[in-house]
Amino acid sequence: MIVRLEGAGDERKSATEGLEGFADEWDVDDLTKEFLAESVEGLDRMDRCLTEFEKRPDDAELLSEIFRSVHTIKGTTGFLGFKRLEKLAHAGENLLDMLRDGKLTTNTRMISGLLQLMDGLRMILQLIEKTGHEGQRPTDHDADLIKLIKSLAVPTASDQMASVSVGNAPARIAASVVSSGSEKTLRVEVEVLNRMMNLVGELVLTRNQILQSRVDATNFGELTRRLDSVTADLRETVMEARMQPVGYLFSKFPRMVRDLAMSCGKLVRLEYSGQETGLDKSLLEAIKDPLTHAVRNAIDHGIELASIRERAGKPKEGVVTLRACHQGGSVVIEVLDDGAGISRSRVIAKALERGLIDEEQALSMPDREALQLIFMPGFSTATEVTEVSGRGVGMDVVRANVERAGGTVEVESTEGAGTLLRLRVPLTLAIVPALVVKSGGQSFCLPQGSLAELVYVPEREVESALERIGDAELYRLRDSLLPMVRLDRLLELRACDEVQGFYIAVLETDGCRFGLMVDALMSPEEIVVKPLCGLLREIGLFSGATVLGNGSLAIILDVSATAVRAGIKPVAEKATTRGGGVNTEEDQRESFLVFEAGRRGLRQERRALPLSSVERIESVSYMDVEYAGGRPMLQYRGELLPLDDAGLVLSELEHADGLVTVLISQGGGGKRVGIVVSKVLDVASGSVAPGGQLATEERIAVINERITVLHGFERDWEWRNVA
Amino acid sequence: MSIRDGVKLEGSEAAPVAICSLNVADRRFGIDTKQIVEVLGAKPVRSVPLAPAFVGGIFAYRGEVLPAVSLRALLGLQPLDRPGCLLVLDAHSSAEHERFGLEVDGVGGVVLFDGSLFARSPSTLDQLGNALFSGAYCGIDGLLVQIDPERLTPRRLAETGLFDRQRKKTCKPERADDANVDRG
Repeated sequence: MIVRLEGAGDERKSATEGLEGFADEWDVDDLTKEFLAESVEGLDRMDRCLTEFEKRPDDAELLSEIFRSVHTIKGTTGFLGFKRLEKLAHAGENLLDMLRDGKLTTNTRMISGLLQLMDGLRMILQLIEKTGHEGQRPTDHDADLIKLIKSLAVPTASDQMASVSVGNAPARIAASVVSSGSEKTLRVEVEVLNRMMNLVGELVLTRNQILQSRVDATNFGELTRRLDSVTADLRETVMEARMQPVGYLFSKFPRMVRDLAMSCGKLVRLEYSGQETGLDKSLLEAIKDPLTHAVRNAIDHGIELASIRERAGKPKEGVVTLRACHQGGSVVIEVLDDGAGISRSRVIAKALERGLIDEEQALSMPDREALQLIFMPGFSTATEVTEVSGRGVGMDVVRANVERAGGTVEVESTEGAGTLLRLRVPLTLAIVPALVVKSGGQSFCLPQGSLAELVYVPEREVESALERIGDAELYRLRDSLLPMVRLDRLLELRACDEVQGFYIAVLETDGCRFGLMVDALMSPEEIVVKPLCGLLREIGLFSGATVLGNGSLAIILDVSATAVRAGIKPVAEKATTRGGGVNTEEDQRESFLVFEAGRRGLRQERRALPLSSVERIESVSYMDVEYAGGRPMLQYRGELLPLDDAGLVLSELEHADGLVTVLISQGGGGKRVGIVVSKVLDVASGSVAPGGQLATEERIAVINERITVLHGFERDWEWRNVA
Repeated sequence: MSIRDGVKLEGSEAAPVAICSLNVADRRFGIDTKQIVEVLGAKPVRSVPLAPAFVGGIFAYRGEVLPAVSLRALLGLQPLDRPGCLLVLDAHSSAEHERFGLEVDGVGGVVLFDGSLFARSPSTLDQLGNALFSGAYCGIDGLLVQIDPERLTPRRLAETGLFDRQRKKTCKPERADDANVDRG
């Protein structure tokens, strides 16, 4: 058995507010409300059945279901006194009756006419919901529509011809995705409601006991434990009640796909799986628009015209697949098409044209990154602006919407074979596990989802722990370089003067990985997210606030926004691709790893390697260095790594237990080489000195205002021979 | 809090309004009690980094997190070293109603005023003053500058662009005297 809950759609609004807002417009009685919700549901079902029916015109069961829906609407409207609605439903019922009796045959025109009828009915229902009546304006009449339906009800020779013009059905695509009354209601199983009621009862009892006992009471511990378990159960049950199968969302698509495919003149089939996957009602609403957009894109830009498909050796009919499944703590929804895929060259060309990247970036950009360009604002590769999509507001809006719901978007594409768009959203928004940290004396919450690991830097290592490139700081985490963000500096908080140990929260988001420096870790907590007011949301770094266990407020940090604000780029990205690529002097300077490699005692020469060519910095035991033909080698991760010991550092190490610092570097021709150094000094930015070719043919760079030899640019250096 | 009669003009038609008096440093303000949702008294707020100076912080109120507008910061005064008094106000002006907190130094009593005793701000009032206040109630013991919640919503204050973050920094040294007086 099933009941309906009112106002469940919007968690941000309290129940009373929602009802007040409704009552302001007009006083809707319960009966009408019920009728509206039910009719909209019926129409949704009909949309689905009609598109099915088009494929299987002989399915009598489908036809009777459609008939029943229209009949129910007609019956109830007559009872409630909605004359206009009744008239229209009546016309439709007549037509369906004739179809059922076999007096008419189904064709495209018929289905389009019936779909238009659904739209007409839906429009009137929306009008009733908004104003309380069916509309008395002169434009509010359905004479044309009724005439069309009546014309369809006359069996003519044209019935047999499927190729009659489709009418104006596609023009109404927008109307069919308008939110309707059924979104304000939610079907919940009575069983779940009963369980909820039981738990609330339990909660009240526990409260009573707590009120009557004192803090020093012997059973206080037991009471708090019971409160804890009741709250957890209640939370779980409420979440369960809010869960809706993704199928509700998917069911809107067959109709849309049909209309779209027709207006684009393409053959498209929609398939879906995992409809039963549950997702929080509010999230379902949140991803509705992005998903609609993604499906539109797949049909409009992805699937090719039938003739082109045939030439490419694909079946005439394109397939758009919607898939949903649970994965960890999130729900993954995929939109897959077997169309043309995204062309790298076109994406790059477009990005160049729009000035989103420059020539140099265009050449060096890996495919994966090039694909990400489609998420940039103002990007659209559609050669033509069509009615359906391609207005330049596209994937960036999709990404923004999904991210607002706490999710992520990924895209994969193979040119000629299709595109996969993957939306990943959390199961619920309201309660998230988070780690509470302290910075500048204030507490902040980091969502656990983006937290990769925690590193403690004790007081004695504070000075040496961080490397620097100019003002930017890096931490060497297992010898990979992690950009650091100081939370107190980013938020302009009062920084602690005294030197003390700190924590690094390694955060991962949108392909970015960075370390957030905080003063202290508090506790992991399940926090209830409360939205901030608009003005504070505009700061752009906080996704909300929460009340902590001790009653104080903590601000929830928006990790991806923090990364963007701090200028962190996705890991694979070296050049500026985000934010329109502003070319400052800083960009032309390169980052170098500065080191010393030379005999002890001699005046050390500073050498440097471009940071981008350094993969890892390893400390290996001298014992592990082996010699082949007099040349040092290292067995490194299953491969033989030639060592470049130009500075003769190895010969200096006489004691066998010494450690050797080796820079694993990508040498010329993609070959790896290990460069033996005596000391890594710094990571700094600098520029290659103009006319830096000296007589010795070494290239010189000026880094940190000191002359530095660029390692590996010598005329004919040794490791190349080795390799 | 006490309710006392303010000034009542003989033969006046206008209905009396109940005004709650507030103070910041030695300045006195008045707000129509109808616009107050609740007076919370002294309550610390949680400051929000990077927020405009006039947002003193946020606080939890009946399941919501509300911003608190600091009247002190709006007037360009140094913050107090103790938590100020918090009032929860409702602004209905725009289509969406906005609820927010107002942080003042102290809340006085409720005074009944005759509606006709309201005077518009003089034309000589500077831009900042004009943005904040529309007039004052003339009491026997001085003026109560009227506080209009609709003018003080965080959204509207941000829109005026007069009270951004820079202001706090530039004003601090100039107003140092003021702050000393307050503490004394």
